[in-house]
Amino acid sequence: MNQRALPRWVFIVVTAAAVLWLIPVVWMLSLSLQPNELLSRTTANTFLGLVPVPFTLDNFRAILSIGDTPRWFMNSMLVAGTSTLLVLATSTLAGYAFARIRFTGRSIVYPLVLAGLMVPEQVVFIPLYVMFADWNAHNSLPTLALPRVALPIGVFLMTQFFKDIPDSLEEAARLEGCGHARIFWSIMLPLATPMMMTLAIITFLYSWNDYLWPLVSPQRTDFFTITVGLAKIQGNFAQSQGLGQLMASGVQASLPVIILFLMFQKYILRGIALSTDK
Amino acid sequence: MRLTSFLHSDNFSGWAFILPYLIAFVPLLLWPFIQGFWMSLHEWNLLAVTFNPAAKEFIGLGNYIRLMGGDDIGWSLQPMWPFRLVVSLLVVALYVRSVRRRAVGYSHHIMAGLTLFTTVILLGLTGDWYDTRFWIVVRNTLVFVAWVVPVTTIIALLLAIALNREGRWAATLRSVFFFSQILSVTVVTLIWQLVYGVRNGFIANVLAPFGIDSPNWLTDDQLAMGAIVAATVWWSVGFALILFLAGLQQIPGERLEAATLDGAEGWRKIVHIIVPSIIRTVQFVMIMQIVLHFQVFGQSQLMTQGGPGDATNVWVRYIYQTAFRDSEVGYASAMATVLFAFMMIFSVIQFWVTKRQES
Repeated sequence: MNQRALPRWVFIVVTAAAVLWLIPVVWMLSLSLQPNELLSRTTANTFLGLVPVPFTLDNFRAILSIGDTPRWFMNSMLVAGTSTLLVLATSTLAGYAFARIRFTGRSIVYPLVLAGLMVPEQVVFIPLYVMFADWNAHNSLPTLALPRVALPIGVFLMTQFFKDIPDSLEEAARLEGCGHARIFWSIMLPLATPMMMTLAIITFLYSWNDYLWPLVSPQRTDFFTITVGLAKIQGNFAQSQGLGQLMASGVQASLPVIILFLMFQKYILRGIALSTDK
Repeated sequence: MRLTSFLHSDNFSGWAFILPYLIAFVPLLLWPFIQGFWMSLHEWNLLAVTFNPAAKEFIGLGNYIRLMGGDDIGWSLQPMWPFRLVVSLLVVALYVRSVRRRAVGYSHHIMAGLTLFTTVILLGLTGDWYDTRFWIVVRNTLVFVAWVVPVTTIIALLLAIALNREGRWAATLRSVFFFSQILSVTVVTLIWQLVYGVRNGFIANVLAPFGIDSPNWLTDDQLAMGAIVAATVWWSVGFALILFLAGLQQIPGERLEAATLDGAEGWRKIVHIIVPSIIRTVQFVMIMQIVLHFQVFGQSQLMTQGGPGDATNVWVRYIYQTAFRDSEVGYASAMATVLFAFMMIFSVIQFWVTKRQES
C-alpha cells in the first residue's frame, strides 16, 4: 500500500466523485421515504430531494400489503437460495473429483467443463427456452433456478481451491484406509468452508440480479422474480402506483444484496478476484 | 469382492463425484449450446414448431447468409474514411513502435491484425445488405463498447491509484465506488431513468435554478447512447477498480520508492512507473470488459427500448426481439452464434495475455 499522503486536490476530487457516485442511490432511498402526493408535484423538495422531509413510511407499507412485489420477492429468495445450494453441492463434489481423484476420462471432461466458461447465457437462452417449453416446464420456480447450476464457474473455483491443498493432509487418512467419500466429508469440506462461503455469496448475488432468463421463461406474473417484476412496473412508469412506491420497490429489490454487501464485502471482492483469475 | 473393489476404485469415485454436476451441465449448457447451433441451420418458427414439430426446415447456412450477406457487395475506401484512416495509422504507429522496442508478442500481432482488418477491409465493404438492422445493432454495440470500456478503465485506474492506501478514508471510498456494482440492472435503470427524467429528473432539478431546460436525454438520438453509457460506467467502475487494486498490490514498494527518490512525481510517476507495472492487468481487465459489455441488454431494453428508432438497439436485444417477438428462433440462433464467435476471438486473446503473464 502506498503510504505517502495524497495531494490535497486529489483528495478533494476523489471525495467529490464519491459523493457524486452515491447521489443516485441516496436519491432513490430518499424518494421512497417521501409522500406520493408531494412527489407528483416535485422531486426536489428538500435539498434537491436528497433529504426525506417530509418523511413517511407509507410507500413501504403499501408495497408490502398490496400488489405483487411481496410474491416476487419470495420467488427471488427461493430461486436464488435454491440455485446457491445446488451450486454449492454440485461444485464442491465435482471440484474435489477434478482436483484430487485420478479417474479415466478426467482429462476430457474437465477441459470440456472449462470451455463452458466461455459460453454466455445470451448464447444458450433460446435453445433453453425451447427445451423447457417442450417439457411444459415454464412458469415454475425450479425452471428459473436450474440453468444457473450448469454454469461451470463454481466447479472451476472449487477445483482450483482443492488443487492447492497439500497432499500431506490427505495421506494420513489414506493410510488408515479412508475412501474418497470420507476424506471429502471430514477433511476437505471443513477446509473449504471459507471458499464455499465466497462461492455462495457471489452465486446468490448473480442469481438475484439475473434478468434475461427470468424475463423470457415465465409468462405468468406470479412466477416473476423481483428483478423482472420491477422492470415490469417501471415499464408503465407514468401510470404506476406513484413514484414513491416505485422507488420503495427498488429499495426492496436491492435489500438482500445490500445486506450481503454490508456483511460480506470481503468475500464478494475475493470472489470477483478469484473468478476472474483464469 | 469384485463389486466392492470397483466401488472403492478411483474411477468409480471420480465419476460418482462429478455426476451431480454433469446432470446439470450436459442438458442445461452443453446440449443447448449444440442445439443452438443446430437451430441456426433451420428455418424455425417458434409458434409453428410448437403446434407442429415437423414445421422446421433445414436450410444449411441460409440464416447466416440472410444475416450477413447482401447484393452488389463491393469494397471502397470511402465509407467513414477519416475514422478508418486515423485508427489504421494509429495501429501501425503503435505496432512499429513496439517492434522497434522488441516488445511484440502474439497478442500484439493479433490485435494489430484484427484492428487493421476491421478498419481497412470490413468497414470498407459496401452493398445492399439483406438485413440492414443487424448492421445497425452491431455498430451500436461496438460504439457502446468503444465508449464504456476506455472510460471505465481510465476512471477505475485513476481511482485505484488514489485509493491504494491504508486508512479509513480510502477504505470507505473503495466501498462507495464498488457499491453500485452489486445492484441489479433493473434497479440501475430504474434509478437512472429517473435521474434523466425531463420534468422530475435529478439533472433537470439541478439545472432548473439556472433557467436551463434539461434535454431529453433518453429520447434524443444524439444523447441516448451517451446516457446509457454514463449509467453503465457508474454501474461497472467498481468491478475494474477491484481488479486494478489487486494488481497494484503486487507492485513492489521499493520500485515506487525508488521512482519517488528519482524525482518522479504525479503524472510522470503514473505514466512511467505505475501503468507499465500493471499493464498486463490493464489489458486483462479491458478484454474482460469487452466480452462482458458485448452482452449488453438490460440497459437498452429498459431505459430506451432500443430507441429512438434503433439508435440504442444492441446485438442481444435484437436477438431477443427476433426470437421472442418475431418467433424466428432459427434466425435468432444464427445471430447468437455469430455473437459467440465474436466473443471467442477476445477470449482467445485473453488466454494469450494470461499465458504471457504467467511465463
